[in-house]
Amino acid sequence: MSELLSSTTLWLGVSITCYALGCRLQQKTGSPLCNPLLITAVLVGALLVLTGTSYTVYNQAGRLIAFFLTPATVSLALPIYRKLDVLRRNLLPILAGAFVGSLTSIVSVIGFSRLFGLSPVTTRSLIPKSVTSAIGVALSEMLGGLAPLTAISIVFSGIFGAIILPAFLRSLGVTDPVQTGLSIGTAAHSVGTSRAIQLGETEGAMSGLAIGVAGLFTALLVSAGSAFLG
Amino acid sequence: MSYLEQLGVLLGCCVAGDALSLLLRGRLPGNILGLTLLLVLLICGMVKPAHVADTADFLLRNMAILFLPACLGVLDIFADIKTEILGIIAVCALTTLCTAAATALTVHLVCRLQRRAGKEGGA
Repeated sequence: MSELLSSTTLWLGVSITCYALGCRLQQKTGSPLCNPLLITAVLVGALLVLTGTSYTVYNQAGRLIAFFLTPATVSLALPIYRKLDVLRRNLLPILAGAFVGSLTSIVSVIGFSRLFGLSPVTTRSLIPKSVTSAIGVALSEMLGGLAPLTAISIVFSGIFGAIILPAFLRSLGVTDPVQTGLSIGTAAHSVGTSRAIQLGETEGAMSGLAIGVAGLFTALLVSAGSAFLG
Repeated sequence: MSYLEQLGVLLGCCVAGDALSLLLRGRLPGNILGLTLLLVLLICGMVKPAHVADTADFLLRNMAILFLPACLGVLDIFADIKTEILGIIAVCALTTLCTAAATALTVHLVCRLQRRAGKEGGA
């Protein structure tokens, strides 16, 4: 039994099955609360705890899954390329919005973390929490943060943003689809984008573009900031 | 091109990105440089969308599961962050609102400036 429980194939199969289940649930309900990654993490996490399997054992399967992360991140070039004409037509609003949004995210994380008395390691892990996981986790590792904390914060921020942001922006008097889409994409990456697509075509396209542009800006800002501060 | 050949093109960009990252002494992560490289190659037309599209779309559609190992890593660090959880949740929620508001305001201002410039240019 213990041999089976430490089998890489078993945990790979369990992970993929739980993920497929999570995707089905998302399709059925269409709610951002039914985030496939969140469902998968809770299910697999519970199974690991219940069977007393350590993360080290699980991670033999985990490494196989995470291998595809780098080619998947590189693939993000394709959706940006496909929306190049939208990008060209709205170049200034997109670049300015994503830049100011990324800067605000980084500065407000540092400010609020200090206010709530979070440790420096935790703060470093939260700095890239508004961008898509592929870029955020890589930046967190570069900054010396805890990659798992960054990953979970990104998922939480995305779900929170997807649920709250449409109403929050409306309460601020934002009705323009370009503004709404760019704000959601910059603040809540791909999870927010899945909600923006439901709001309308322009909102979805803008939000999708903001993921990549804000991700690149955040990478540049973090890189410049860490070089400057040593 | 087959799925496997397309994966080869993507992995080529990954390796080139890592090499660039080494040249920049790790100032930018290799995967982001790989992304930028592929975007440039697509714009120049040296890589056609068909050279990567099937594999890239498959990976993008299923990107969420690739973060499962990182998320489960929380089991390993839970003891270290236990005392800070409420603060972490508060920071994530508040900064998401700040970021969205700042972006919306910036886009609003830029669009207004552009419209004004457009009118003056036309007059």
